[in-house]
Amino acid sequence: MSLNIRLVVNGTRHRAKIEPALSLLDFLRDTLGYKGVKICCNTGECGACTILFDGKPVNSCVVLAADAAGAEVVTVEGLAEGDRLHPVQQAFIDTGAVQCGYCTPGFIISVKALLDRTRNPTAEEIEEAVSGNICRCTGYTKIVDAIQIAARQLQGPTGLTSKARS
Amino acid sequence: MDYFEPKTLREAVSLLARYGEKAKVIAGGTDVLVDMKFKEEPLCLVNIKRIPGMSYIREEKGSLRIGALTPIREIETSPLVRQKLPLLWESAHQFASLQIRNTATIGGNVCRASPSGETLAPLLVLEASAIARFSKGEKKLPFTELFLGPGKTLLGAKGLLREIEVPLPSKESRGTYLKHAVRGAMDIAMVGVAVLVTPDGGGKKARDVRIGLGAVAPTPIRAKRAEKALRGKTMARALVEEAARIAASESSPISDQRSSAEYRRWIVETLTRRGLEQSWKAVTGKEVDG
Repeated sequence: MSLNIRLVVNGTRHRAKIEPALSLLDFLRDTLGYKGVKICCNTGECGACTILFDGKPVNSCVVLAADAAGAEVVTVEGLAEGDRLHPVQQAFIDTGAVQCGYCTPGFIISVKALLDRTRNPTAEEIEEAVSGNICRCTGYTKIVDAIQIAARQLQGPTGLTSKARS
Repeated sequence: MDYFEPKTLREAVSLLARYGEKAKVIAGGTDVLVDMKFKEEPLCLVNIKRIPGMSYIREEKGSLRIGALTPIREIETSPLVRQKLPLLWESAHQFASLQIRNTATIGGNVCRASPSGETLAPLLVLEASAIARFSKGEKKLPFTELFLGPGKTLLGAKGLLREIEVPLPSKESRGTYLKHAVRGAMDIAMVGVAVLVTPDGGGKKARDVRIGLGAVAPTPIRAKRAEKALRGKTMARALVEEAARIAASESSPISDQRSSAEYRRWIVETLTRRGLEQSWKAVTGKEVDG
C-alpha cells in the first residue's frame, strides 16, 4: 500500500508516492536527496536529523513521512542564500564549532529555531535549545560561542542588546 | 501493512474494533516509529493525527481538560498549565528534548504506559482521569486504575484516548516532580517522584499528601502507605524520613542497564524525602524540622 503526499521543502514543492511506514528522515534523504539531514541514532535521541517542521525543530527520524503531507519543511540546505551562508552557519565556522561535522546540520537547525523564537537568548534558553543534539568530538563550549555570535549578528548593529532588552 | 488516517473518532474506533490486536495507534510517533524500525511493523497502522480538534488545553468546571493529541511542548508553554498545574508543567519541561517535545503527545505518553513515562506519576498524583472512546460509548477511567502493566492499560486494543481530565488541586497545595537520570536531557528516568502536599490551616500538619512513583514498578504507582503515614500528622523530620523509607519499600524496581533495583530503592527514598521537604517549604515557607 502506498500513498501520495505533497509538501514544501526549503521553498520547493514536492509530490511523491510513499510507503506509509517511511520515516520523514528516509524520505528526505533517500527519496528527495536532501543529504544534509543526517542519519545517526535513528531513534530520536541524538538530534543529527533535526529539521524544521512548520517552523518547529523535530527529529525527522521519528516522524512519519505521511505526517509531512501539507507541511513546510526546512533542512540545512535551505538556510544559505546563494553563496551567502546563514549567520548561524558562518558563526559555527568562525568559532571552530565544527570538528567531524556530522552533528552540525542538526545543531544549526536547532539554533536557527532558537533564534527564530528569540534574538536574545539566555544561557538557559541556549542550553535547552541544543540539549537534544549530541556532539561527540568537540564538546559544547565553541558551539555555545557560535550561538552567541550568531545571535548578535542577527540583532544587527542597531539591534537589541541584552541591556536594552532587560 | 494496512494504513489508515481516520478523520473522526468514530471512524478510528471502528477501525480498532475491526483490527483488534493487529492494529497499532500512532499519534506523535516518537515511540511507535522506533518500534517499527527495530522490532516489527504492525499489520495495521491507525494514524489519528488527522482527527481535528484533539489538541487543546482548556479550563472547565474546576478541571483542566487536555486533548490527547496535545504536544508536550504545548503543555510546557501553556501559561494555564504553568499557573494551575505546576507539577504537570515540571514533568513536561523535563521531558526528553525540545525536538521530541514538539512531536510527542500527552496521549501517546499515557497510552504507551511505560513505568517511566514522564507525565504519569504527576497525573497519578493529580488524580487525573482518561476519557476514552469505545465503540459503545465513552468511559471515564481514573488514572489510579488505568495502568495494568508495561504497555497495558484499560483501553485495551479497542479503546481510544480522547482527553485527559485533571482536577485542579486545592489552592493551598504545592507539588514537586523530581527525576533522577544521568543526562539531564533525553534520558529516561531511573526514578521519578511526584509529590503533592496540602497543609491544614495552622501550617503544622499535612491535611493531604500524595506520592507518585515512576520507573520503579510495572506501572507508575501511588505510595499509599507512605501517604497514610503522613496524612493528618505534624510534618516533623523523623516522620518525613520514615515516610520516605515506606515509599521505598512500596516500590518494586527491576535491575536493568540504567541502574540496579537496590540503587533505585535508595533513590526513591531520597527523592521522596526531598519532594516532601521542598513541597512543604514551598507551601508553608517553613522547613520541615524537629
